[in-house]
Order: sequence, then structure tokens, then C-alpha cells
Amino acid sequence: VIEYCVLALLQGGERYGFELVRTLSEVPGMVTSEGTLYPLLSRLRRAGVVETSWRESPSGPPRRYYRLTSSGRAVLEAFTGEWTSFRNAVDHFLEQETAA
Amino acid sequence: MNAATLHPLARDYLKRLKKAAAILPRSGRNELIEEIESHLSEALPPGATEAEALNVLERLGEPGQIVAEAAPGAPLVRAGALEWIATILLLIGGLIIPVVGWIAGVVLLWASKVWTLRDKLVGTLVVPGGLALPVFLALVAFTNATSPGSCSGTEWTKSINTGTGAIHTSHAVVFSSHCAEKTSSLAIALLIVLLVAAVLAIATSFYLVKRARRIEAIA
Repeated sequence: VIEYCVLALLQGGERYGFELVRTLSEVPGMVTSEGTLYPLLSRLRRAGVVETSWRESPSGPPRRYYRLTSSGRAVLEAFTGEWTSFRNAVDHFLEQETAA
Repeated sequence: MNAATLHPLARDYLKRLKKAAAILPRSGRNELIEEIESHLSEALPPGATEAEALNVLERLGEPGQIVAEAAPGAPLVRAGALEWIATILLLIGGLIIPVVGWIAGVVLLWASKVWTLRDKLVGTLVVPGGLALPVFLALVAFTNATSPGSCSGTEWTKSINTGTGAIHTSHAVVFSSHCAEKTSSLAIALLIVLLVAAVLAIATSFYLVKRARRIEAIA
């Protein structure tokens, strides 16, 4: 699921690795080790859902920027649909339980 | 980015990461190290305290854990029968079947996916032949020392057998003791070489076992 969170974070435009990793790890319960997110980013790149470019930054060291590809956008859209219906289904049963 | 400006703890961490990442294919490995290095310099401004550095490294997680995450699907190579047999053959293969036994060990050593190029070079070149080398040297030394025509042995028997004049005998004794002195210093030198070769051969085996186990520790 974290993969899709990365894609979702990139909807608003490109971000660099450290920024992505810190944003994800700031949400409690999402990430146990920040370091393991980098191999995940690399897998997303190999899968073609994100593309990267290595650039100098105005402040600080050069950074690898991640950007959604069109196929990444499609994957995220499909997931959003699935996730919504899945969440609704689970909510449906959970709410029934508490009502009973 | 300049690794030299990193906090010493972060530099040490990078070193451990590079070691652990040795099992990854080159391109993935470089990308991972680049990213973690960049992460460290973003997270730790120059002059960061030790506590800050420890916190950042803790959040990153153990290098082995990160590397394991980078190599899923492709199961981590682990030391198995091949590595054990290779190590044993390299050490004593040459004693069981001269030359061929050791070469078989070298072939297995280079066929292994666990050892790095450096490990393989160490395994091959530090003591070529393994324990067979010192044993072979000892045999050569022994046959040389006892072969007829070498300076000691024959003179002794001659002096004892003839046993004629006192002058003759003492002559022979002086000659042979001079000879014995020469051979004994040579023998000591040879013995040291033998011992060093034997110790190095055994140390190489330990090194190879340790390197093979390192991968298990990551997994």
C-alpha cells in the first residue's frame, strides 16, 4: 500500500527522495525504517510508474527527483477506485457489527 | 556531495551499508548508496550533534535490513554446500589428490556467488595449494637433507667407519659440524616459511568461512 501512497504524494508534482521519505515517515504507523523506502522507490522506477532525474539543488546536495509517469497516473487512478470500494465494503461490515 | 563533511557516525554507517550492499547488482547498489548518502547529508547539517546523528541513523534502519529490502524476489545468496566443499578443498584438497584437489577447490571458489572478487583472489593467491604447499616444501627439504652427496651424513659415517688416526677423525668432525650448522640454519629458515604458509592457509580458510557467513547475517 505504501507504493500507492508514494504515487499519491507525487500527484502534486515532482519531489525528491528525502522529501518523500520524510513525509511518509511523519505519518505514524506507515513506515518502520526510512531506509527501506529507497529500495521501494527504485522498484517503482523500474516498474515505470515513476521517472527520476538527478539534479543539483539550489540549496544542499544534488537530489534525485521523482515524477509520476502516465502509467503511474493510470495505476494510481485504478487503485483509488479499488481502494474506495474496498474501504466502503469493509466499513459496511464494521458498522453493521457495531449496530448489532 | 562530499562524504568527508558527514558526521563520523554517518560515515561509519555508509561504510557498513556499502559492505552489506556488495551482494546487490552494481546499478541497484550505486543508486541505493547514492540515495542514502544524499539522505544523510540532507538530514544531518554540518555540525550536527551525536544525538542528532544517532536519531537519523535509527530512523533509517539497519543497513542489512535496507539491503534485504532492495533484493526481494531475487533471494539472497547464502553459503551452502558449495562454499563448504570449496573451503575444505582449498585447504586440504591438494593433500588428498595433489594439485588436482586444490584446483577443484579454486574452480568451486570462483563459481560461488557468495564470495566477492577480493575474497576469490585472497582464496586463490595467498597460499596457492593450501596446506599441500608447506607439506610439499617439507618433503623437498627432507629428501635434500638425507640425499647422498649432501654435505653432512656421508662424512659422519666415513669418520666412524675408518676410525683410524685421531687427526683424521677430528678433521671429519670439524667438517661435518660446520656442515650441520649450515644446514640447521637453513632448516630453521625453511621451518619458519613452512609454519607461515601453514598458518596463512588456515587463516585463509577462516577468512573465507567468515565472508560466506556475512551474507547469512544480512538475510
